[in-house]
Amino acid sequence: MAEFSTSIINKGDVSVINLSGYLDAHTAPTLEDNFTDLIDQNKFKIVVNFNDLAYISSAGLGVFMAYIEKIRNNNGDIKLTNMNDKVFNIFDLLGFPLLYEIFKTDEEAVTKFNESSGVGSK
Amino acid sequence: MNSNRNNIIDSFQFRLFLISVGVLLVFKLFVSSSDQLVYGIISDILLLFTITFLFISLVGFFEERKINPLSLIMNIGIISAFIFFLIFFYSSIISLFFENVNDDPSNPGFLSTIFTFVYFLLIIGFTTYVLVALRHLFFLGQSTNKHIYFNTMIVFFLLASLSIRFTTSDELSFISTTFFIVSTLLMLINSLRISWIAFLTKKEKITLLFMSVVITVLFIVNASNTGNDNSINLIFLSFSKSFNVFVSLILIYSAIYFSMLFFTTLFHIPTAEVFDRKAQEVSSLQYFSKLITQVLDFDELTETVTDITIKVSNADASWIIWKEHNDFVPIANNNIGFVDSELINKFILRKVSWDGLSETTFLKLTEFDELVKVSKLYKALAVSPLKAHGKVKGLLVAVRKDETRFNEEDRNAIATFSDYASVAIENSGLLEESIEKERLEKELDVAREIQKKILPEKNPVYDGLEISSVFIPAFEVGGDFYDFFEISKTKLGFVIADVSGKGISAAFIMAEVKGIFESLSKIIESPKEILMKANEILNRTLDNKTFVSAVYGLIDIERGQMKISRAGHCPVILLRNDIAQSVKPSGIGLGISEVDHFKEHLDEVIIELEENDTIVLYTDGITEAKNENLDDFGEKYFTEILLENRNNIVDEISKKVIQAVTMFSYNHSQYDDITLVILKWKPLQSEEGRRDRQKIKTDGDKKWQNSAHQL
Repeated sequence: MAEFSTSIINKGDVSVINLSGYLDAHTAPTLEDNFTDLIDQNKFKIVVNFNDLAYISSAGLGVFMAYIEKIRNNNGDIKLTNMNDKVFNIFDLLGFPLLYEIFKTDEEAVTKFNESSGVGSK
Repeated sequence: MNSNRNNIIDSFQFRLFLISVGVLLVFKLFVSSSDQLVYGIISDILLLFTITFLFISLVGFFEERKINPLSLIMNIGIISAFIFFLIFFYSSIISLFFENVNDDPSNPGFLSTIFTFVYFLLIIGFTTYVLVALRHLFFLGQSTNKHIYFNTMIVFFLLASLSIRFTTSDELSFISTTFFIVSTLLMLINSLRISWIAFLTKKEKITLLFMSVVITVLFIVNASNTGNDNSINLIFLSFSKSFNVFVSLILIYSAIYFSMLFFTTLFHIPTAEVFDRKAQEVSSLQYFSKLITQVLDFDELTETVTDITIKVSNADASWIIWKEHNDFVPIANNNIGFVDSELINKFILRKVSWDGLSETTFLKLTEFDELVKVSKLYKALAVSPLKAHGKVKGLLVAVRKDETRFNEEDRNAIATFSDYASVAIENSGLLEESIEKERLEKELDVAREIQKKILPEKNPVYDGLEISSVFIPAFEVGGDFYDFFEISKTKLGFVIADVSGKGISAAFIMAEVKGIFESLSKIIESPKEILMKANEILNRTLDNKTFVSAVYGLIDIERGQMKISRAGHCPVILLRNDIAQSVKPSGIGLGISEVDHFKEHLDEVIIELEENDTIVLYTDGITEAKNENLDDFGEKYFTEILLENRNNIVDEISKKVIQAVTMFSYNHSQYDDITLVILKWKPLQSEEGRRDRQKIKTDGDKKWQNSAHQL
């Protein structure tokens, strides 16, 4: 399908992954690589910005599930930000808001990380 | 010389030659006949045997090995020089050892006889070698059998030689003269067969030109020396008159042959380059055909590519720089270590731009500051792009250790070859793709087959319930699944689910999910509990990035009641009194969160059914169907169509929905499975039942509406 790309910005000790394009079974490995790299660098405070993401499929959702346990075991977390209604709806249907913290902006997510240095797993 | 197999000394013919040499020596030493004619004939016959045996053994020797014509000509040149010295300095050599040897040639002493014998033996050896070598050159590059021409010439050589013996008077001399002339004519004809020079490279032709002119001059001098009436001529005559003629003939033949060779080569020089190019193309084609047979295996192919690169460019090592993800890695390293090639790669990529390289380029490795880290001191480097569809896929690298830089010829060779290699590598990729595609298609066939078998063949039949179900698979099996469970005559369970991911893995999970619900529906009635149990099982079996969204429902016909639980699936749409309501109790997808967390957030709603209540279950294949602008079909449009058709029978409603989806996504391929299940409540009117249902309804209504509002 269409293109998908990511970019990573560091905000303090929090890494922000910006997603753009279509995240599906074919493009999911790109995001998986990003997570693997961050984990390898012991960066467990991760914010994923959905601002430019046009579409996410079930395989794309699976990427977040695959890494959350390891990240939370290391006192980190994946927080999600800037979702448009369509993407939020998909997350919402699956009950992801019960599992992940979703914020309007990166700043809110980063602040949350800084407030409680180390969010335990649910 | 290979001593155990092809040793000329061991051959039978050579032994015969040695024996005949011995006999001839004995004859020359001890037999002296007054009858000059008989003595001469016997001597000539022995001589003939000697030469014949040597000739045959040399022919055998030549045929057993591949001899480069140029080195053969070089040998002839050396031998012609020997002959020249033997003939020219004969008298001076002789006079050094035997002062009076020439005084009476008809009555030589013992030592001088031996000396003369050895001398002639050398002449015999050299001339026979020249003859055999010329024979070898004659047959070189001949496709048809031309033995007859050469053999006829030899026969006339012998006739001309032997007939001189019988030419006692001048009247009869015309016989040997005729033979001599015929021999010369045959020589001329046979000297024209030199087509082999066409296949020499320009360099070789120039070498040949110089060699042939020197050899021609030497042979002309030799021939004139043996034919003239000088002292050497007398010695020859004393040994054998016939042999003198024979040697003369061979020397003349050589002179003619090499002068012919000289002129032909001279005329070939201007076209040599064209021939070179043609020959290059032919050998490239051979390499190319070698590549074609290996497109099945990428690794093998690239290894052959680097192997041939070394051959065509006379390089010491070769490898390919290949782009993998965003990394440039050396592959198919030939004669060079991985570490070395990686070091040099960095240098190359600093010097040339990956996409900008359009032709073979030479680099001086002496400019490489980290060359000392490389284990071998490479000096010159050639890099050539491997392109497919106009894009650079890899770089073919060749390096040399010695000072000689790559020249224009090497550039052409590498460039031509890298073009062929590009095509082969591209083909290999295409083949791999098509094999992969075929494999995927086979796999998808299996997945579709599984899905088809898993889905219910027909809808169950219940009094008071209209049921319609539609399933349209996507090309890549999307993992949609629905099923009905006829729990009892008055209870119907149903499930709609969507497995994350696609293809064969989704199909297998689907099969597992079917099994889970099938068995759970037999022992548990509550949708909530069934989903809880299913989550527990799937949490154990699914990998951590796969999940299943599902809605499980149970309709109690007797009580006119429906219980629904939702695990991350699309909401259930309830059409009642011209209003579409989204029934969306809380619930996380199956296989996502751990048991307690799942349980905590899972709700179950009870809907008291009213007449004509229409329950619509669907998967996101409908709402996420896309048009050419990639707009979603959307819940809003979906609900509109449902409401428009709410008074139709369920099959008609399904039809309208599918029509609308099809029309909407007409210009966009169906990406996900589409599943639509519609149930319509058409209770049989009995007073008792209606009253009962009315009573239960009031509490239930509130409950599910609350749940729906929560999220």
